[in-house]
Amino acid sequence: MELNLLELQKVLQSYGVLINFSGRFTQAVIEELGDAVQKYLETEAASKNNTFNVFSVFIEQTQNIKNYETQKASSLLGERIANSGIVAIGKSEAGYFVSSGNVIDNMDLGALAMRLDEMANLDKAALKKLYKEQMKKVITPGSTGAGLGLIDMARRASRPLDYSIVKLDESTSFFTLKVYV
Amino acid sequence: MSNLYIEQTKSTPRIQFEADSNKLRIEGQSYPENAFKFYEPVLDWIDDHLHQPSQEMVLEIFFHMPYINTSSSKCVMMLLEKLENAHLAGQNVTVRWYYDKENEAALECAEEFKEDLTVPFKIYPVDEDNE
Repeated sequence: MELNLLELQKVLQSYGVLINFSGRFTQAVIEELGDAVQKYLETEAASKNNTFNVFSVFIEQTQNIKNYETQKASSLLGERIANSGIVAIGKSEAGYFVSSGNVIDNMDLGALAMRLDEMANLDKAALKKLYKEQMKKVITPGSTGAGLGLIDMARRASRPLDYSIVKLDESTSFFTLKVYV
Repeated sequence: MSNLYIEQTKSTPRIQFEADSNKLRIEGQSYPENAFKFYEPVLDWIDDHLHQPSQEMVLEIFFHMPYINTSSSKCVMMLLEKLENAHLAGQNVTVRWYYDKENEAALECAEEFKEDLTVPFKIYPVDEDNE
């Protein structure tokens, strides 16, 4: 079947998607898309607060995917994971949203789902406490992140973080995270 | 005193030490690919600087569209903890944080850094639209 970009664009628009990218995330791609997100929100006359929070969630989501890519680079699944990133920034009746997805190793599923489920029950004050505790932890040498991204997104979000996991095969699943700002 | 200058990029701030006024300025957005690698020389420089007896330091942090990602926040916290320890040891250290007055999230970010510290820490609003 021939790729029909018009149809693809219509689908994206029907879900309120304003900006999207699918492919290998690099720092340069993240920076350019980040600029596009900021400029788009400025022309939409979104408040500085909204622009800041959407940009922030966008950076945390894409850098999480990038960091996971780096972490898995030398594994057998490395290439598949690296090429599986997708992000969409959009607007719905419930506000702006940032959705991202990528292939993850089934071995990493349990820990990720547990973290997100634990956070889902926390109110803003408890999330702040968790953030501060994580902030005080000593960073292990060679780590790419501070373990703060998910907590930070949950704090900026207007609703609890929404995630889904679709099993692809014995070794991988597709993970999606949707954050409303 | 050894100099410190790091040129600004889209995702990393300009970092500049002004020896005559004893000010360290960190200005710009911060969301590098690897924040720990980026801030390592800055943290080392601060250690060296504070290690000299009776060294004074004023730290100024500017952010144009004041955004820092979480791993940069962690590095800024490590930096502030060094200043906090210097302050507790009796050194004269001050933090000045500037934020866009229309950006509440940026103010909250600065206030959260300040919360757990006793080092003199002032937060100033800046009118970005009139600059």
